[in-house]
Amino acid sequence: MTRPPMMDKQHLAAFADGELSPEEAAAVVMYLADHPADQAWVDDLMAANAALAQAFSAPLHEPVPDRIMAVLRPQAEVIPFRPALRQGAGRLAGIGLALAATLAAVVVLLQPTPPAALILAGAVPADSPLRDVLNHQATGSSVPFGSGELTILASMPAADGFCRELELIDRQAGNLQVALACSDASGWVVDAVLAEALASASGADGFQPAAGGDAALLDRWLDQRGAGLALTPDQEAAAIKAGWAP
Amino acid sequence: MPGKPDELFRSDLVALVPKLRRFAQSLTGNRQDGDDLVQAACEKALRNAAQFVPGTRMDSWMYRIIQTLWIDDRRRNRTRGTAIDPEDAYLSDEGRAANLPEDRMMLAQTRRAMADLPENQREVLALVAIEGLSYKDAAETLAIPVGTVMSRLSRAREALLPKLGLSQGRRQ
Repeated sequence: MTRPPMMDKQHLAAFADGELSPEEAAAVVMYLADHPADQAWVDDLMAANAALAQAFSAPLHEPVPDRIMAVLRPQAEVIPFRPALRQGAGRLAGIGLALAATLAAVVVLLQPTPPAALILAGAVPADSPLRDVLNHQATGSSVPFGSGELTILASMPAADGFCRELELIDRQAGNLQVALACSDASGWVVDAVLAEALASASGADGFQPAAGGDAALLDRWLDQRGAGLALTPDQEAAAIKAGWAP
Repeated sequence: MPGKPDELFRSDLVALVPKLRRFAQSLTGNRQDGDDLVQAACEKALRNAAQFVPGTRMDSWMYRIIQTLWIDDRRRNRTRGTAIDPEDAYLSDEGRAANLPEDRMMLAQTRRAMADLPENQREVLALVAIEGLSYKDAAETLAIPVGTVMSRLSRAREALLPKLGLSQGRRQ
């Protein structure tokens, strides 16, 4: 019986690393059957590979750290909206900063002429249709509201309850509002309303509802409420069912 | 849009971050330095996004950026050794990686042994054994010949295996 020639370590390592063709690998398997010492060495290589993979596996189970996410998030994407609001955003940032310390309910008007406000800042009255929408409407769905259409953009857990971002588009009145309402022990309170006139002339093929990008303007009020990441549909459904109990 | 990283590029990069952090931590030995490295690499990647050829492997491209930044950093900080996270820092994974004390000890030994390797051996071993790159891809990533990948792997394993209680002089 002729013994196969000795195989060098690099060839055996290549086998352990999965580098060989099926034919080459089969030859190594045959060889190892006759060479227990080499078989043990190949086993050790594989054990070391497995130990290395496991020893550094932690990041695979972790979310992307905020500071790395901050680098990768598009910087200019905050307001992919219309130029009118983009200009307004600069002013808004200044106003927001000035108010940041007070947590006052505010209405920021981005137009010289205030559009008729349909959502009012402050506590939401018990008999208000807005309260119904806030209590029962799921994110992403739209309902008629006044002469416009109201859409919930997102729901977030907050320190004392929950926050919901909403958008009201009223084409008839020619205005758009983005608002933040938060719940606490006393019910819903509208913390902030951003309003602007719809630029009816520019959007010839129909106005595109802002898909929440402009809602980023509400971030500072969300921060004050200690709001977290948006609820998943399941979490939101559970919160609606529980009557938004904190 | 030339020169401006598009949405797809960014989202591909985000998806790669867990693997990039793993690679960076296997080089630096601890998560603080590893994350510094990944952050710097992502910034560099976005600045140089135009150089990335769509359709080629983005992971290899990013490994290369990380490795280059790491070597630059090591050159500037010659005296600084590789700081290992205290063992506990890695045990916060709800026991996914290691349930038994001896497993934990093995993993701690593995990280220590990895940190003791010379840089050029550590990066090859990380790419092949941890990231699962082929010798050819590892060679291209590091811009070295395949033969060099193999010889560095051999030397890395000669040093590493005995420290893991493996292969104690069974051959040669």
